[in-house]
Amino acid sequence: MTFLRSWRTRIALVLAVVGPGFITANVDNDAGGIATYSVAGAQFGYSLLWTMIPITIALVVIQEMSSRMGAVTGKGLSDLIREEFGLRATFLLMVALFITNFFNIVGEFAGVASSFELFGVSKYIVVPLAAFIVWGIVVHGTYSSVEKVFLSASAFYVAYIVSGVLAHPDWRAATLSTVTRPESLGFRNYGYLSMIIGLAGTTIAPWMQFYLQASIVEKGVTARQYKASRLDVVIGCLFAAVVAWFIVVACAATLHSIGKFNIETGAQAAEALRPLAGEYAYLLFATGLFNASLFAACILPISTAYAVCEGLGLESGLDKRFEEAPAFYWLYTALIVFGAGVILIPRFPLFRVMVLSQVANGVLLPFVLIFVLLLVNDKELMGDYTNSRWYNIASWFTVAVMIGLTMAMVIAQVRG
Amino acid sequence: MSLVALSELLGATVRDASGAVRGRVRELAIVPLDHPTRVAYLIVRTPFGERVLPPDSLKSAGATVRASTDATEWEHYTASDGLLLLKRDLLDQQIIDVHGRKVVRVNDVELESTPVNSHLLLNVVSVDVGARGAIRRLSKGVVPSFTLRALLVRIPPRVIPWQYVDLLETDPSRRVKLKIAYEGLAKLHPADIADIVEDLPPAEREAVFETIDEEVAAETLEEIDPDIQVSIVESLDKDRVADIMEEMDPDAAADLLGGLPEEHSGEILKEMEPEERQEVTQLLEFRENTAAGRMTTEYIAVPETAVVDDAIEALKRFDGSREALATIYLLGPGSKLAGCVPLVKIAVSSPAVQLSALSEPYVACAPDTPQDEVAALFDKYNLITLAVVDEHGRLAGIITADDVITMLRHRH
Repeated sequence: MTFLRSWRTRIALVLAVVGPGFITANVDNDAGGIATYSVAGAQFGYSLLWTMIPITIALVVIQEMSSRMGAVTGKGLSDLIREEFGLRATFLLMVALFITNFFNIVGEFAGVASSFELFGVSKYIVVPLAAFIVWGIVVHGTYSSVEKVFLSASAFYVAYIVSGVLAHPDWRAATLSTVTRPESLGFRNYGYLSMIIGLAGTTIAPWMQFYLQASIVEKGVTARQYKASRLDVVIGCLFAAVVAWFIVVACAATLHSIGKFNIETGAQAAEALRPLAGEYAYLLFATGLFNASLFAACILPISTAYAVCEGLGLESGLDKRFEEAPAFYWLYTALIVFGAGVILIPRFPLFRVMVLSQVANGVLLPFVLIFVLLLVNDKELMGDYTNSRWYNIASWFTVAVMIGLTMAMVIAQVRG
Repeated sequence: MSLVALSELLGATVRDASGAVRGRVRELAIVPLDHPTRVAYLIVRTPFGERVLPPDSLKSAGATVRASTDATEWEHYTASDGLLLLKRDLLDQQIIDVHGRKVVRVNDVELESTPVNSHLLLNVVSVDVGARGAIRRLSKGVVPSFTLRALLVRIPPRVIPWQYVDLLETDPSRRVKLKIAYEGLAKLHPADIADIVEDLPPAEREAVFETIDEEVAAETLEEIDPDIQVSIVESLDKDRVADIMEEMDPDAAADLLGGLPEEHSGEILKEMEPEERQEVTQLLEFRENTAAGRMTTEYIAVPETAVVDDAIEALKRFDGSREALATIYLLGPGSKLAGCVPLVKIAVSSPAVQLSALSEPYVACAPDTPQDEVAALFDKYNLITLAVVDEHGRLAGIITADDVITMLRHRH
């Protein structure tokens, strides 16, 4: 009995360290993330690695602001936007968030479908089943215990690190292109630009700001205990960035180097794991992709339903009955049913949708960030916890770059 | 007499006595210390600064506001703490709907404009928390106003009358000036107050607990989720916590203190009255997951030689929790537990009957009995209360059924 108790305490301690920041950053490496990093590595080799450091800095800066805001105000992001900017701004933002997150959810179910395609199991069986599981896990309140399973299975990402090492990449070239300035020629290329936005969009997704802040509030973190949460955020972001770097490197070394530039299916992406797993690369990739997709598919619909309902002042919460919070449950159910339903359209381009959903993130992100920055600098709201001057310069710069990139992509697309 | 929405008034053009447009409405202000619902003045943004426009110089208020005075007579606006500004303090903010017993967000505010002599009286009558207010605001300036009006009458309203609205304000001095006392909230059942408080952000929770009556605060705190309990207690003033804890059930207070860091709970205990402190300290010494940690020391016990009338007297004097009233315990020589009488038997017996004649075989457990066994005893003997006796057979305290239910619920 004592043995059991001490064993339990130990696990609880480990899980206590893994906070909202770590979970958010981890879920961030979802189906869309894996797909985007894989495509970036296969198509452009090492040449996009320079984006990793600025993106990571931006990720830390932004996630830190969200968690700080949650700890200081005790309110969610959509609540704060509603209270400070009124109904109309909130409504427009919530519509945009709903649509973007819908694409993300489609991307997650696409991840589920393509992971099982590798086993030869039809998506017409897997996707409805996954949708049902997701709906059940959350509605029946078993999510918190399932979260631990997902998190442990996330250790799969280590496979990319190992595989990246075993693939014998050109370390010198990889390191150089991580730390040196990129060639400016690439920016006129639509594919290159959209890839950069995709990378930024998958690493810093709008839903993360809402989800992270809500989790911090839910956990009851206060301004005084905030230091531990900040550490959790930074560690989570660094881990996510290291994994992303290795996915790009692994794909560059295994696919780009032999002239395979285009990834259209999960099977092609799985090639990147061959140096580690050999014949079993498919198996490893499929399991990891499935876990990542299902993890994110559990979180995205529920966090979207919460954010939208709270912003618009509709009843929300799983402790409410259906009749008490109809909008909440309908939104949640619709996101899952239609998100999974779209995948069932015959000849649906699974892998491309996963990448596209990340571009949608990149487009919405600047708007969310502007709200975050205005709120976090509100003295009345944040008191002594507003941004420092350097912090503001860094974050406004990030926003400006994201807006610039988005506009460049839209122009490039219009010109064809 | 007609209804006008705050969102219609905000941004409305203001014409003065000459008929010329002088500015736009920016805010509506109430001075709660003067009148709880009457709009004291409109704040108008004009090219020559912000001016105030009292309703007694208003001819009409709607999409256009007409004043009976000249713009030069309008006084300058100066900000003050004692003003309730309808747009800033109410619109889009969370309030407590006392009638519906929940926290809601305000979509719009409805005002009643009553013509008196030659001017208007504007009074807040209700807040709109439904789709009607939301659609009105979203489509303002986008949809033509006559189409909008035709559309809005079809939407069933969801409004909360002003007397059932409790505002949330975290600044204590402003709470006084705005006369916010959570009177409506405090009248609800403590379990309902607890549900509402759990839905609030931390600073607002603190505001409620700083304001409401200690006794209500104590009962509410008992009903709140343990994690939130701790965060509330940590955020409040130590004196205030001590005052609230004195009103709490000693076992609930002990449980709560047990969840706090030791130095903090020590400081709170220091602030408590000696009598209550002693009870709570005793309970604190017992481990939480045993019978002793779950028991309360507030129970009714009379000598075994007593009669029904004595028991009724004891009942009248008892000021512990109602759950503990279900059983009257009989004590023999040396405070040893001798028997127990259910309250029902006392109610139906005549005053002179000997209690020992009514006594039933009692069930008791030792202080170190694990809580699972306590629950099993309640189940087996269908108990409402269970006596806890020390090694000498003396009554140490009792456990009530509601504590067992709480314990079972928390385990799952």
